[in-house]
Amino acid sequence: MRIAISLLLIVALLVPSGARGENRVVAATLDNGLRVLLLEDARSPIVSFQVWYRVGSRNELRGATGIAHFLEHLMFKGTPSHGPKQFARLVEENGGQDNAFTSQDVTSYYVNIAAEKLDLVIDLEADRMQNLLLDPKEITSEREVVIEERRTRTDDDPGGFLGEEVSSLAFKAHPYGAPIIGWMEDITRITPDEIRAFYKTYYVPNNALVVAVGAFRAADALEKIKRRFGRIPRGKVPPPVLALEPPQNGERRVIVKRQAELPIVYLAWHVPNQKSDDAPTLEVLSTILSGGRASRLYRDLVYQRQLALEAGGDYSYFSIDPNLFWFWATPMPGQTPEKLETELSAHMERLKTEPVTDEELARAKNQIEAAFVYQDDSIHQRASLLARFELIGGFALKESFMAKIRAVTAADLTRVARAWFAPDTKSVGVLVPKS
Amino acid sequence: MTATRSSLTLLAALASLLVSEPAAAAPLAHREVLPNGIVLLVAERPAVPIVAVRVLMRAGAVYDPADRAGLANLTGAVLTRGTAKRTGPELDSAIEFVGGSLQAGAGRDGLTVSLTAQKKDMTLGLDLVSEVVLSPTLPDGEVTRKVAEIGAAIKRSDEDPGTVAARALGRLVFQGHPYGFPVEGTRESVARLTRDDVVNFYRGHARPDTTVIAVVGAVTVDEARREIMARFGSWVRPTASLPSVASATASASAREETVKRELTQTTIMFGRQAVLQTDPDYFPLAVASYVLGGGSASRLYTRVREESGLAYSVYSWFSPWRYGSSFAVSAQTRTAEAPKVVAMIREELARMGRELVGDRELALAKQYLIGSFPLRLDTSGKVADFLVAVEDRGLGLDYADRYKERIAKVTAADVQRVAVKYFPPTSFDLVIVGETK
Repeated sequence: MRIAISLLLIVALLVPSGARGENRVVAATLDNGLRVLLLEDARSPIVSFQVWYRVGSRNELRGATGIAHFLEHLMFKGTPSHGPKQFARLVEENGGQDNAFTSQDVTSYYVNIAAEKLDLVIDLEADRMQNLLLDPKEITSEREVVIEERRTRTDDDPGGFLGEEVSSLAFKAHPYGAPIIGWMEDITRITPDEIRAFYKTYYVPNNALVVAVGAFRAADALEKIKRRFGRIPRGKVPPPVLALEPPQNGERRVIVKRQAELPIVYLAWHVPNQKSDDAPTLEVLSTILSGGRASRLYRDLVYQRQLALEAGGDYSYFSIDPNLFWFWATPMPGQTPEKLETELSAHMERLKTEPVTDEELARAKNQIEAAFVYQDDSIHQRASLLARFELIGGFALKESFMAKIRAVTAADLTRVARAWFAPDTKSVGVLVPKS
Repeated sequence: MTATRSSLTLLAALASLLVSEPAAAAPLAHREVLPNGIVLLVAERPAVPIVAVRVLMRAGAVYDPADRAGLANLTGAVLTRGTAKRTGPELDSAIEFVGGSLQAGAGRDGLTVSLTAQKKDMTLGLDLVSEVVLSPTLPDGEVTRKVAEIGAAIKRSDEDPGTVAARALGRLVFQGHPYGFPVEGTRESVARLTRDDVVNFYRGHARPDTTVIAVVGAVTVDEARREIMARFGSWVRPTASLPSVASATASASAREETVKRELTQTTIMFGRQAVLQTDPDYFPLAVASYVLGGGSASRLYTRVREESGLAYSVYSWFSPWRYGSSFAVSAQTRTAEAPKVVAMIREELARMGRELVGDRELALAKQYLIGSFPLRLDTSGKVADFLVAVEDRGLGLDYADRYKERIAKVTAADVQRVAVKYFPPTSFDLVIVGETK
């Protein structure tokens, strides 16, 4: 039966300064709630087709961590009409590349392929949104693959191992404290029924976003997407994540001893996300601290004083819930993690008392702006960036983002540093090489 | 590190990326030889207002003297640390102020200076590139800094079982050839390097007649020629003859090496020498490698990962260089199962020579290698990397088209023939990194 589809069509100019006609994003929401963003880009005869589900490790319950990522693996294990292994085979046979990733907030699937193969990709993605087999036999064998993945990324990787410890220390209540790949005990335990229920709950059109950028006519592509995805019934609204992280009332610290060549130190502070007016300032602050070789941490700790082999900071602007601002450093041989911790903290303190220079501020803004321009060079990146903004409230936010960045002042940086980087609200992780 | 944790579910770390693969119809770039011998390659990509520039000099690790492993790498690291006009920090500030990036680094064959900048900043970017290439001061203090930094980085990389395995394997596969040394050298060899070594190395190997410059992006051929000539036109071609390098030759006997590490997984890496990209066997071998361990439909992926759940990562890859190449197979598995995975890899290598590949898997490999070509050249940076590599290895700008034609012609019998020749399990060196008894 054919379902009538009414469309809410929004057309917006993404890059107002660009005279290029291909920058028009066609946005639509199908009757079943599926959100669709399409952008014509005919530079190469290829298309990047991406399906983003609004589910990640933040939607997981204690005892079932890693289930979102486990399901991502199983999305390649077949439906009644495309058996196990057929997804990858069909894509490769048609000269395409595909992959997927799971984050704290989302699970994303992409296929980059010749534009004339768009129908095939739409068919495959729509099929596995609704009809995944989740055969217990496949689950059993894929569980072992996920366990091996965890060993590679975390258990056998000093940095990954320490990061997991610090996250779980920093978050007492919010699921961001659990690793995306899941605790080993949970990966081992999760049952096929739980995975099936998770799939049914979250893999519904009204919880998904389709983004395509490439050499197609948007009207045609939209028609094809309507025809194929439009048949999938709307699901119940997935349960919201209710957990709120309570304020941190004292420094937390973990020391890990294991085989490693050099120590590592991590510092993590709770900071607000993009919903806060402070977010653009945090983005600029992160760039001033660690964007390139002229940034503060590199120039001082790595270059001038040679205390660290590496040092940096990282802010997650796009995080759905408030997350952590990370600092890290690897001491040079002969230096201690204690020394590096002191130095990283000193940089933070300096930001609270001393305004950044005009040059630093201008450089950071130029770097952020240039990164946007570079993204436009790749259709895959263009699609991903559209999706990132859409997931935090609307793809058109990309337009106002740079204006907000440009408005950040030196006084903002001082104020934000004071507001969010108090000594009592940090979590510290130190990896000590075992002799 | 908190944000996304890409799971590489498919197409695991297909390390080979560049150059190995397929084809496009239109000429990829304009090519001309400047009066002083520089080969200039220009690809116009007007849609996005950026430029990517690569300057490839024949000054890679393959030219390191035997007692100075890591010299090319050190030279690359120091190149952006000061010029006649600017100190290292001034260079950093200048390019980063406009949101651009200027990097230099050595690989096995070449030393590359790379620029990414917005079109509006191209003049500044090219000024910096030419300063770095033509008037680097290679200051003593910066050499000392980089020696310490590289030494620490080598020490740290000893934590990574994949790096440990690749280093050991390189030594076995290319024993007696410069390719057998790690590009970054060893902690001992790097500690011995001095500023004089760096200065002499750069003076001896940086010369216009072995330099390739690619300019890709929102730029016309005329504009690129003008800008490059203005900066590099007076670079004088030296009279000294070019340094020569012997081609790598495989040793007769295969060896095994075990490196003990306290880890939950064991890293398994098989390797041997293979053929150059100019060898007719290269094309059937590329197909054979893809069937064996190239993607998520490959035999190794299917058997080791999908059917047995023994590994997250299992794949095979070619590493083609100018004077030799290697073919390798790698997997990481829980330590107790390592012998089983070693046996499976050997069986699958042998089966490639014993049986004809099936019609569908042959077609899949060929269609993937041919069809995915445009995806590998989807940014200005990737196009620039591809152009200088194709030029340096003497493959010609029509390489992409030839590749496509040659891959299309590969038959199941061709695949079996090269597998008999190159895939006998006993011809592979083997490195195991992990817990051992």
